[in-house]
Amino acid sequence: MVLSFFTDLFQQDFMMRALLAGLILGMLAPVIGSIVVIRRLSFIADTLGHFSLVGISVSLFLSTLGISIFFERPLYLGILFSVVGGLLVELFRRSYKNYKEISMVIVISLGAALSAMFFSLSKKTGSLYNYLFGSILTITNYYVVLILITAVIVFTLFLIFGKQIVAVSFEESNAKMLGVNVGVFQFLFMIMLSIVVSVLLESVGVLLISSMMIIPVATAMKVGWSYRSTTIIGIVFSELSVFFGLWMAYSFTIPSGAAIVSINVILLLIVSFIKRIRTGKRLKKEPLTNEAIE
Amino acid sequence: MQIDVHNLSFSYGHRTVIDSLSLSLSSGDYIVIRGKNGTGKSTFIKCLLGMNPVKNGMIFYDHQDINYFKEWTSFGYVSQKFEDFNYEFPITVNEFLSVSSLKKTSQSDRLKALDQMGILELLNQNINNLSGGELQRTFIARSMLNNPKLLILDEPTASIDKLSTEYFYKAVNQLNLQGVTIILVTHNESLGHLNYSHVLTMFSDGTYTFQTRDRCDLTEVDL
Repeated sequence: MVLSFFTDLFQQDFMMRALLAGLILGMLAPVIGSIVVIRRLSFIADTLGHFSLVGISVSLFLSTLGISIFFERPLYLGILFSVVGGLLVELFRRSYKNYKEISMVIVISLGAALSAMFFSLSKKTGSLYNYLFGSILTITNYYVVLILITAVIVFTLFLIFGKQIVAVSFEESNAKMLGVNVGVFQFLFMIMLSIVVSVLLESVGVLLISSMMIIPVATAMKVGWSYRSTTIIGIVFSELSVFFGLWMAYSFTIPSGAAIVSINVILLLIVSFIKRIRTGKRLKKEPLTNEAIE
Repeated sequence: MQIDVHNLSFSYGHRTVIDSLSLSLSSGDYIVIRGKNGTGKSTFIKCLLGMNPVKNGMIFYDHQDINYFKEWTSFGYVSQKFEDFNYEFPITVNEFLSVSSLKKTSQSDRLKALDQMGILELLNQNINNLSGGELQRTFIARSMLNNPKLLILDEPTASIDKLSTEYFYKAVNQLNLQGVTIILVTHNESLGHLNYSHVLTMFSDGTYTFQTRDRCDLTEVDL
């Protein structure tokens, strides 16, 4: 089983595409995910994913009306609706300043409701399964190029505005003092996030997007000692989960998103367990003194 | 930095916390703002920082109206607490200082700022492993990193120990000696250890007193 996986990996085009797309997404997701975690917006990816799904369901619905412009490329409307979802979150956040999570619940519910309606009206609910749980093994060359372009844009933005992005994420009020236009940053970040979420949707599925972004970062936070090291370790965990997830999806014919995220969670559990044991051993060696406790 | 405040008033609903406050400060002045809780000290600081909109009265920085003022990077600000800051995600003190200035800072600038606060050894420490006092000193070091023309300190030593407080006031005096204007908010009634030039005392009914004093030679200050 393992041998045939490796053989097919380098012989079958669909496997090469899946691996390439997975590795790019494996790098992209934790880079964006770390900023999402710092800004305490872990639910935002799920929220935008649900709204992206509305765009895809609307594309399918329009095709039943004879408007097939988006049928081949439902991702375009997916990105558009994801941005709309992000703007709605910002809008509701202003009404519930001290209860930021309420805005995400409202938008996520609206997204789920609208997608269900349009999928039902389009009578193409069969494709819903792939959008919910991902199908990285069936992606096309076009989609791989789209992922690559997205990654290049995101990494370029990080290279140019990395300092501002990190400054605003860690402490908004200080970033304002530094002269960063926080409103513009938030808007740009929301658009960037919407696009990344939309391109992640096809490979990991709407229900697992946030896991792909957040879990590798959560694992890395347990062992990282700096922002840089945490992001790099997050990328390593993410790539490992993509590779082994791909193997699981291929070998057991299960959805790719589910396989990737399962490996992510397994890595989190292993790292947490090892860290717990090591911390326990250290405490035994160096028991806390009264001075240290104070 | 020259600061002119003209007839500044600020209210929360019907409650006036600042009533027609006027004062002028020149570059290199050192003003202590004191008063009990709820007398509008922090409200005044927020007005100076542009966080509270100035609708009644005017504030000028180097003769420029605050509503058109853009050079906020020439300000250093240290508050009593940093509730807005995410302490849980790993970031080293060095990284934190590096993203705290949009200008490119050198490692020696960062080391100098930490040395002024006596926390040089924390450079590569993860911020979420620091004690409250170390964290506050790191924030103070950050405020010095941009070579501010005006340093606003809102009860900056409230959560740090005596030794750190001494380091802090020495560093503030040094900066003041270099021409930096200092605005310090304090609860502490004893001002003996500060080399201030003005005192603004604020009262709960919105009134205030503003006093100026002759300063002793800064180099003679014994902390």
